[in-house]
Order: sequence, then C-alpha cells, then structure tokens
Amino acid sequence: MTDSINTAPATDNLDALIAANAPPEIPTHGAVDWMKKNLFSSISTTVQTFLFITLLVLILRWLLGLIFDPEASWDSVATNMRLLFTYNYPADQFIRIWFTVGALLTAVGLTIAAWGVDPKLSVKKLGGNLVGVGALIAIMGIIAPASSTIKTGMIVVGVLIAVLGYGISRVLGEQKISFFPFLLVVAGFWLAVLWLVPFGRNEFIDGAVSNLPGTINPSTKIPWTILILLFLGSVLAGRALVTVIKPQALRLTMIAWWVVGPAFLIFLVLRDPQFDYDKVLRTDVPWALGFAIIGGAILYWLAKPGVGEIGRLFAASATLFALFNWVAAFAGWYSMLQKVRLSFLVFALFALAAPTFAGERSVRLKFVYAWVGTVAIGHWLITGINTVSTLDIAAPPFLGGFTLSMVIAYYVMLASFPLGIILALARTSKLPIFRLLSTLYIEFVRGVPLITILFFFSIMVNLFLPGGMELAELAAIFLGYALFSAAYMAENVRGGLQSIRVGQYEASDALGLTTSQRTIFIVLPQALRVTIPNLVGQAIGTFKETSLIAIVGGFDLLNVAKQSIPNQPDFLGQNKPALLFICAIYWAGSYSMSRASRNLETKLGVGTR
Amino acid sequence: MAAATPSSLVPDRAMHHKRPPFWRNVGVLKWVVQIVVLLLVIGAFWFLSTQALSNLDDKGIPVDYNWMSGPANIQLGEGIDTVPNSAGRALWSGMVTTLRLAGAGIVASTILGVLIGLARLSNNWLANRAAGTFIETLRNIPVLVQMLLWFAILTSLGDLVNNDPETAANEESGPIPGWLYISKKGISLPRFFWADGFYQWLVFLIVGGAIAMFVRRRIQAKQNLVGGTAPTASVPLAIFAAFAVVGWFINPVVGGIGNVFDAMESAWGSIPESGMRIFLSVAAVAAAALWIKRFLDSKRSPAGLAKLTDDDYFRMIFAGVAALAFMAFAWRVWPGGASWLINSGSDFWGWLGDKFGNGRNARPLDGMRPTINEGRFSNYGPTGWTMTVFFGSLFLGLVLYTASFIAEIVRGGILAVPKGQTEAAMALGLSRVQALRKVILPQAFRVIMPPLGNQYLNITKNTSLAIAVGLSDVVQVGQTVYNKNNQTLAVFGIWMAFYLICSLTISAIVNFVNGRLAIVER
Amino acid sequence: MTMTDTALSEELASRRDMIECVGVKKWFGDFQALGGIDLTVKEQEVMVVLGPSGSGKSTLIRCINRLEVHQEGTIVVDGIELTNDLRNIDKIRSEVGMVFQQFNLFPHLTVIDNITLAPIWVRKKSKVEALRVARELLERVGIPEQAEKFPGQLSGGQQQRVAIARSLAMEPNIMLFDEPTSALDPEMISEVLDVMKGLAESGMTMVVVTHEMGFAREVADRLVFMEDGMVVEINNPEDFFTNPKSERTQLFLSQIL
Ligand SMILES: Nc1ncnc2c1ncn2[C@@H]1O[C@H](COP(=O)(O)OP(=O)(O)OP(=O)(O)O)[C@@H](O)[C@H]1O
Ligand SMILES: [Mg+2]
Repeated sequence: MTDSINTAPATDNLDALIAANAPPEIPTHGAVDWMKKNLFSSISTTVQTFLFITLLVLILRWLLGLIFDPEASWDSVATNMRLLFTYNYPADQFIRIWFTVGALLTAVGLTIAAWGVDPKLSVKKLGGNLVGVGALIAIMGIIAPASSTIKTGMIVVGVLIAVLGYGISRVLGEQKISFFPFLLVVAGFWLAVLWLVPFGRNEFIDGAVSNLPGTINPSTKIPWTILILLFLGSVLAGRALVTVIKPQALRLTMIAWWVVGPAFLIFLVLRDPQFDYDKVLRTDVPWALGFAIIGGAILYWLAKPGVGEIGRLFAASATLFALFNWVAAFAGWYSMLQKVRLSFLVFALFALAAPTFAGERSVRLKFVYAWVGTVAIGHWLITGINTVSTLDIAAPPFLGGFTLSMVIAYYVMLASFPLGIILALARTSKLPIFRLLSTLYIEFVRGVPLITILFFFSIMVNLFLPGGMELAELAAIFLGYALFSAAYMAENVRGGLQSIRVGQYEASDALGLTTSQRTIFIVLPQALRVTIPNLVGQAIGTFKETSLIAIVGGFDLLNVAKQSIPNQPDFLGQNKPALLFICAIYWAGSYSMSRASRNLETKLGVGTR
Repeated sequence: MAAATPSSLVPDRAMHHKRPPFWRNVGVLKWVVQIVVLLLVIGAFWFLSTQALSNLDDKGIPVDYNWMSGPANIQLGEGIDTVPNSAGRALWSGMVTTLRLAGAGIVASTILGVLIGLARLSNNWLANRAAGTFIETLRNIPVLVQMLLWFAILTSLGDLVNNDPETAANEESGPIPGWLYISKKGISLPRFFWADGFYQWLVFLIVGGAIAMFVRRRIQAKQNLVGGTAPTASVPLAIFAAFAVVGWFINPVVGGIGNVFDAMESAWGSIPESGMRIFLSVAAVAAAALWIKRFLDSKRSPAGLAKLTDDDYFRMIFAGVAALAFMAFAWRVWPGGASWLINSGSDFWGWLGDKFGNGRNARPLDGMRPTINEGRFSNYGPTGWTMTVFFGSLFLGLVLYTASFIAEIVRGGILAVPKGQTEAAMALGLSRVQALRKVILPQAFRVIMPPLGNQYLNITKNTSLAIAVGLSDVVQVGQTVYNKNNQTLAVFGIWMAFYLICSLTISAIVNFVNGRLAIVER
Repeated sequence: MTMTDTALSEELASRRDMIECVGVKKWFGDFQALGGIDLTVKEQEVMVVLGPSGSGKSTLIRCINRLEVHQEGTIVVDGIELTNDLRNIDKIRSEVGMVFQQFNLFPHLTVIDNITLAPIWVRKKSKVEALRVARELLERVGIPEQAEKFPGQLSGGQQQRVAIARSLAMEPNIMLFDEPTSALDPEMISEVLDVMKGLAESGMTMVVVTHEMGFAREVADRLVFMEDGMVVEINNPEDFFTNPKSERTQLFLSQIL
C-alpha cells in the first residue's frame, strides 16, 4: 500500500513536467501545411505524388469511362433488379420477401441493442469523411468522360457534400454523437434518396421495357420506408427491453434466432409449404411427440449421475442403431421415414452427450428441454421442407439471385461450423488414428480447388448412391461446399485451440472434468473467441465464393448478371453494367462485414490477448 | 515399517492390484473407439465405391484409364497442342496451360503485391491512400466476378482484322501492325524463344555457373582470412559471361550428351516389368524398415531404449502398413503401374536425348514476330508472344485480386519487425541498405513467407476458374473429355491428383525456403 | 523404508495411509524423471517436498493425481490404486485437489463460475448449493467481494486464493500444491501462505512443493528432499534443518538458507 501512495504523486509530477516542457503547438496553416507535410516533404515524395496523381487520373478516367460508356445500358440493371435479387420469385407473393427482410432487420436491431453497440462517433471525423467524399465526387465530375450536364451535376453535388461536411465539422467541432442519432441521420439520408432522387421507374410491363421518369417505383420505396422505420424502432425496442430483462437473456435469444431463424424464414415463409394437415396430425405430430416424450424420459435417466457404464453402453448401441438405419436404407432392408432416421441419429448424439451434462435435477431438466426443443424445431422444419410449395415459380429453384447467394453462404457457414470443430479437435487430439484421418481429410480438401469439388458433387453424388436414391442438385452442391468449407474452418479453429495453454487442460483435469466437459466448458469457449476474426474472414470468403455456384449452374447473383440479363432481347450482350453492379453489391457486403468485424475485434479486444 | 502399516490396508491393496475390466480400461477403450471409427470410415468408403463401380457397370462405362491413349476428337481454344491426338495429350495440354497461368500469376502478383504493400507503408499520403483503396476494393470483390468483368472488357476491344466495308480494307489493325496487336483476340508481341541449340548452350551455362560459384567461394574464403574488399562479384560474373559467350558459338560440341541420354532411354526401357515391381516393393519395405530403425534410434539413449508409448507403436505399425499398402497397390490395384513407370521413364530420357542430340542448329535463342492465321493468332510454337483474352482476363483477375492480399501480407510482415531492430542496426553503424538487408528483411520474410505460400496455393487453385471464360485449362479440358466419353470418375481422379501434386510441391518449396530463412535468422 | 520409520512420530504412524507410493518410476521418452519413489503420506499430514530444480518434485505430485501417468510401481491414494480404470481416475481426480504455480484459472469465467463449475458438473451438486459453498470458500480465503470479477481483473495473490477455493469446492481429502507462491510478488506471498496454514490447521492432508522455508519449518509434519528423481531424505522439520542426515541435503540447505 505504501508503495502506491508514494508512486502516485510522482507520476502526477511527471505529467506536469511533460506538459510544461512540451513544445508549443505549431498553429497549422491548413491545407498548404498539410500538403507540405504529407505530399511534398522531400524530392522523392514529390515525385511519388506526381506519379500517383497521373496514375490515379488515368485509372479513374478509365473506370468512369466504363460507367458512362454510351453503349452501356444501365437500364439493363435497373429493369432487372427483381431478377438480380430474388430471381423468379412470384411478384404477387412479394409480401413474403418484405416480411423476411423485415424480420432480419428487426433481428439486427435487437442484436445491436443486446450487445449494447453504442460507439461514440466524432463529428469532426465524419465531417472530414464527407469532405473527402465530396472532393472525390467533384474530381470525378471533372475528369469523367461524360456529357457536360452530368459533369456539372457531379461537380455541384460533390461541392455541396464537401461544404456540408466542412460546415458540420466547423459548427459542431469537437462534439461526439452517439450511435442512435447517427443511425437516424443515415436512415434519413436513405429515405431522402428513396423519395427524392429521380432514378426513373424501370420495369418490364408485359415483357417490354418501360422507363418512366420520376423517383423509384412505389412498390419498392414504400416497403423500404417501412423497413427502415422498423429497423430504427427495433433498436429502440431492444434498448428498452434490455432495461427490463437481463441483456444475457436477450443475447442468448438472439444467438438462437440467428441459428434457427433464417431456416424458418426460408422454408416456412419464403417457400410457403402447403401442409397436408391430415398427414401432419396423423404422422408428423405423433412421431415428434414420441421422440420428445420417450426420448426425453430416456435422456433424463441417462443424465443421472450414477448411471455409469450401462448408460454408455446404451448410448453406444443407440449410435450403432442410428447408423445402421442408413446402412439398411442403402441396402433397402427396411423402410423408415428419413425424418425418423435423422431423429434417431440426433437422439444418439444426445445420448452420447448425456454423461457430459449429467447433474442434479435442474441441470438434467435443462438437458431434456434442449432435446425437446431440438425435436420440435427439427421436425417442424423437416416437415416444412418436405412439403410441396404453394408458390407457382417459373424456373424451379424458388430462390435465386442475391437471395440464393446469401442462403448458400449462410448455410455453408452454419453446417461447416460443427464439422470444422470436430475436425479440428480430432486433428489436435492425442489419439493417433483420429489425428491421421482428420489430417488426411483436411489436407486433401485444402489441396484441391472448390470448383472441382462442386463439379464432383453436382454431377457425381448420385453415382455413389444406390439405385432409387437421389439428391437434388442444389442440395448436392450445398453439401459439397459445406464439406469443403469445413476443412478451412477446421484450420481456423485449430489455430484457436493451439492458443490455449496446457495449464487450462491440467486445471480442468485436476478438477475432475471429463474430456468432453473440458472441451465444452473450458477449451472451446476460449478457442472460439480467439478464432472470431478468422471466422469472419472465412464468412466473407464464403460469401464471395458463392459466385462459383454460377459455374455449376445455380442461378445466383453472378449467373443472373452474366447469363440471364445479356440474353434478354432488350439487353442483348449487355454484361458490363450488370457485372459492375454486382461488383458493387459483393463489395458492399464484404467490406461492411470486414469493417464490422474489425470494430468488434477492437471492442472485444480479441486477438490482442 | 510393515509392522506399522495398518493391517486393514493389505487386503485392500491386493484387491486393487488386478487389472480393470476392459470396458473401464482407458488404455483399451481409446483404441477400441479409434478402431471402430476407422472401420466405419473404411466401411463407408468401401460401400460408396462399390456402389459407384456397380452403377458405372450398369451404365456400361468401363472404369480404367485406357481411354487416355484413345483418340480425342476435341479441339482446344489454346494450349501447347490445340488439336491433340489423344485425350491424355489434351489433358496434358490443359495442365500446361494451368501451370503457365499459375506461374505467371504467382510472379506478377508477387511483384505487384510487394509494390502496393510498400506504397501502403509510404509516408506519402496519396500513395498510402491509393494503395489502401486498391487493397480494400479488390479483395472484397469475388475473383470470379473480376475475371468475368475483365473478360467482358477485353472482348469489347477492337477487332484484330479490320474489315471496314466502306474502305473495303482488309488490314491488320493494332497499334503497330506486325509488331504489336491489342485486340479482342488478345495481345501479341514479338518474342524470343529457345531454339534448337538451347539445351547444349544450357550445359555451358550450368558448367560456367558452377565454376563461377566455386571461384566465388574461394575468393570469399580468402577475404574472410585477409579482410578488405575482394572481387566477389566481378570475377565470377566474368567467368560466367565467358562461358555463356563461348557456349553460344560452340554449343554443338557437347551434342554427344544426347547419346548418353539415348543410352539411358534404352537401358530404362529394357527393365522387365516384374523387376520394376520387385524393386518398388523392396524399396517400400526398405523405406519403412529404415524409418522404423531411425525412429527407434531416436528413442535410444546411453541409458537404453525409452519406454515406448501407444502412439509410438502406432507409428511403427502405420509405417509397416503403409509399405504393405503400397505393395498391394503396385501388384494388385494398378498392375499396369510398373510398365507405365518404365515407359514414361524411358520417354523422359528419350526426350532429353532429343533435346541434347547431335546435328542441331547452333543458335540457342531465336526471335519471332506475331503471326496471324485466318483472323486468329497462332499462339505457342515459333510465333510471337501472345496472350489471348481468355488467358488475359483470367490473369488480370487473378493477379489484381491476389496482389491485394499479398500487399497486406507484405505490409503486415514489415510492420511486424519491431522498430527497435532498425534503431539497433543504425546504432551499430549499419547503413540503411545494410540494415534492411541484414536485419529487417530476414525477420519480415519469416512472417511473410507462410501466408504468402498460402496465396500461391490460392492462385494455383483459382486457375481452375478458367472454365468460366472457357480457357482450356485442365478443368475445362477434363470437362470436355468426360462430356465425350462419360469417364467422369477417372477425370476427377486426374484433377485431384494434379492439383494435389501442385499444392504439395508449392507447400514443399515454401517450407524449404522458410526453413532456410529461419536458419539465416539464427 | 527405514528412513520413513525414524521420521514418523508415534502419533503419525498410527494414522491411516492417505497416499502410498511404492517404487514409482516415470520416464519422459528416454529421460527418467522418477527413479523409484517410496513414500507414504498419512491422514491429516502436511508433507513438504524440497529439492533442486528438475529433481522431479512436480512430476511426483502430478503423478499422484494422474496428470502424468507413472510407468512402474504403484500409487494408492485413499485406498484407490491408480490404474487405467476409468472409474478410479474419476474418483481420484475429485478426491485430490491441486493448486498450480501459474494459478490456471479459467479466464473466460467469473470467479464464482470458476469455483462452481466442477461442483455442478463433476460433483453433480445443485447450482444453489454450489453457489453457497463457493461464497463460503471465498469468505474463507478472504476475498468475498471479488465473486463477479474475471480472473484477469485480480492480483496474483487473489488469483491464487481463488484457485485454492476452486480446489476446495470439490471437497477433496488431499490437496497438492506445486510451488503455489513462486509466481507471486513478495507482498502477496504471505496472504496465500496464510490460507494454506489455515487449511493445514483444519486437518487437510497436504503435499506441498515450495521454496518457502519458513512455511516448511512452521507447518510441515515431515519434509522430503528429492534429487535426480530419488528421495534422498525424509525427516521431521527440526532434524531436517538442524541436523540433516545426508550430505546432499546439507549442501542444498547451505545454498538456499
Ligand atoms: N513433459 C515433459 N517432457 C519431458 N521432460 C519433462 C517433462 N516434464 C518434466 N520433464 C523433465 O523431468 C525432470 C523433472 O521435472 P520436474 O518438473 O518434476 O522438476 P521440478 O523438481 O518440479 O523442478 P522445478 O523446481 O524447476 O519446478 C526435469 O528434468 C524436466 O526437464
Ligand atoms: Mg516444478
């Protein structure tokens, strides 16, 4: 204690000393000084500056030339927005799309609130950014090879933005604004863009392109207005909610939603299954109830502390039985609903996990609830997926364009996550055969290109299945992609696993945790936290690589741009505008994800430990 | 002591001394679980492959590689052989195209990436920001989309032959007709290529290089003893140049080497098939035995052999099993393998014999201007250097995309060297260049190399996107082949093997370089 | 064996054996870390293990709760022999607590979660009960107010006391300490030693590897001196410090004191 009392004033003195002896701040003379310091500080930097100015002007002019190319028809993009984003989804059912987007935006808002995202943004910096953007637009206006009206327009807009930025940074100066007002401003900006900017009203009417002047089509801008307001409302609602319930509870709910919710939206909202309620009541519900109740009872027993080897034996035989069901299916010995087979497998996994979660009554009950929840959601989704859709879709996959890209990226990440963890655990395990198998798998998959694997799965999977069994092409592609992604996921997770010190393992062992308890409660939580930046990186990669689906014939964003649009009679050969447009979409998606993850990283302090 | 021990403990200990039952014995259980999983995996493989084989059988598609030498009936867009006479030759042409693309991509993206990475570190604001924008823009757009965009842009360039109906001119267009063409067919320039005398000349270069290196070592050794400056660069260079110049004129002198190679060809070709197999089997067993011996030796010390763990036994057993599996492969699974090995070995020697053979033109290098044939470039062979739009769009997409990653890696690597290192080097009186060469770069390289190697792997794998624009790489050719003859499974096997070999080679090279750098650093 | 006899007081000798090692040998690869250890720890005894660095002290106590697997000889802990038997390993682990030099707290869990984790999942206690015990233990080690903090927010001494509480929460019969104060700043050492003294007074069987001679002299029932994986001397504290039997011990003591 005495130590700290002695040192505290010393540091104070030091600070004062430094403050007193600091050189006087040199008053800045604005732009000239700045340029002297950053652009013309020496001969070599001056040369660099001129070199880069020339280069940048040439490149920018060329890029703008692509955009303002008189032969490029941007109508091809404007008219085909629906195709690009939702492909052939029937127009009269669009309310489902809006509902889905609304649900996702609400979830984003709630998630922001649950994690208390509230960065303080410096007005000065924002103003500076605006000045930069404005200046860039003005410069582009000057050098763009376009008509003089466009050029003047760009220059005027650019100057206005720059003046606005300069103005707010002068007036509001050192102030910081918090997150919600910032969101309000951004939302206001987009609303203004929606309602004021005369993009024109492009659509196909009876197969012919119509291009009316004015702002965007009301069928687009009204839903978006509602959605933007909904998003703002959900942020506020989430903040209010956090004061009532524990943030931890809301966080868990949101995580659960992000895992299950999209599946729900895709298969029950977007696809609109036509449930045969008679069959649902007579087959699906009894099976689900049976699994939930009988399975729950057995699991309750299995999770009893004293069960011991009998429990293990039971779980092992349940696993063998569940696997055997598939062997029997391949060999055609006896038939069984696929749903039932799956349920048996999941049940076996729960049974294997039971000793890990064994405990006192309340703990066991939680375990059983987890099982009942899994059964309920799983059966509901499987029934939904297996039921025909009411939608009348021109060209089959009910999802296409951007939606398909997103869905595939999402599911691939979701499916490869557990697989990757298992592979990583096997590769770092002490058991040599597991290590060998996992290493072989990972190195093989990482050694070959994704496209060959996608080809393999899209063409070949059915060759490996016995007669009569088939896998839809899109499902096969998804499977291949997930298996591919798992190998990369495994390497990322392995990095996290290796960052955990032996002491953590030893302490867990000394406390008597079993290997699986150690893995679940101690090792994985720490390893995954370290892995987050890499996982986001992989998510971005996966999102970008969904474009490969276009090569194997899926109608994702890329395929619409490179194939569908240039083949329309009105826009024959018009591929550049659409490709440039999807470049912008992919860029916006990946860039915002990487920015978000960088912010998250600094906030959590992960990766720095 | 025994008297002091409570007597109650004695029976207790005796009771616990027996082995635990196997279902509770950790040492047994862990092997049981592993072997069960292994059997499940093998079983699944076996099941799926028998399924596939029987399905193929039902469709009447034979599962073998004999079709490789059969006629191809396909025409490739570009490659070393655009009208291959066999499917195997077509695939080979595709592989060469892939390798060319990967090699060119690796070199170009490294250069560009390093430049941009350095610009990103520059204290010139403009350079810094421009590099940052480049990186953030290009790495966030899928490489496939970039390639297709480049393809769209390049194919909208001007025509190669200008058929203007008004002037009725039918003339070659291009910035400098006859020398430089830039058109929607691609870019073409004059080029130098290896002419007939090249290989003989190469002998001179190798010998000259070796002698120069030797001399350099001697000079350096002397300098180490005496100190001061010595002509470590100029004298060896002069020696090398002398060999190069003299070799240029008298290279046919060493044509006799071709005969040696020809002799090797016939010697190799006369190896009996069973001899080859026996040799392979013996080699496999010997390798396994040697490995086990080395392994045991590493466990031996003056105190005697160490206690071996389960894991150690597994390794040794695995080595043995691997040798047996190799033998099974050579004798049963692929009985033709031995003769394939013999044939391709002797072909290789024959090829060398041709290249080094006698009676060749003396000039090692030759030049050629672009040639246009029926409105197309003739690419490859004795013509100008041509990059078609297919190759070009792929190349541009790959290089720009990968360079943005390499730039970040380079920047990160250089920033990873602590500032204190530069200061320490300066304090020792090293010059800026010396500090960079001897202190900063070796450390930065160590950080840069592994992720850089990953990028090289990515380039190689991303060349497979060639199929999106229709460049005849190994994937595209393979697809054409199996669309013709339904040999999907076999073609997939070739793809996988090809890419795995490429990946392993690149990893090996990167690891080797990394190892060298690590030693340099120490 | 004879050495053990002389060091044992009448009173100690009459107690039950808690840990009994007979001819324990352990190799790391070709390096022999333990060369045949014979040792008996009695109920409620505090045994302090001394020895130069690398003499196998840590290895010995890590063998006792099977963090390392010995290769020859037998170890019987509280009547249970350490074998490959799944059941025995589980039992031993929850009967023997261990405190490490580097604390090894779980950084992603709060102090209270660190302490309740094993009672809930290994001892199968209810959460309420586990929490009650955890708070009691925190009280006992003197940091009840730190329950909701994360380990990274505590000082070294506090962390080590949490680690002790974490082990005690499993209600072990035996506690092993591997240099519990070596990673601590001098002013924090006493707070941890005080907790250990209290534990010893409460009658816990303890095996302590430490370089704190004051603690050894004051608290230990017997001292063990190890070198090169062998037990060189076992003695009561007085004789050990004032009149050691072996020359090696004398040398060691002259260097360290
Ligand atoms: N996992 C291991 N692998 C190989 N050798 C090991 C391992 N653990 C310990 N050793 C070796 O065994 C010997 C005894 O180690 P141990 O940690 O028991 O010593 P110690 O007496 O605790 O020393 P210290 O006082 O430094 O902690 C040392 O020579 C050490 O190098
Ligand atoms: Mg130690």
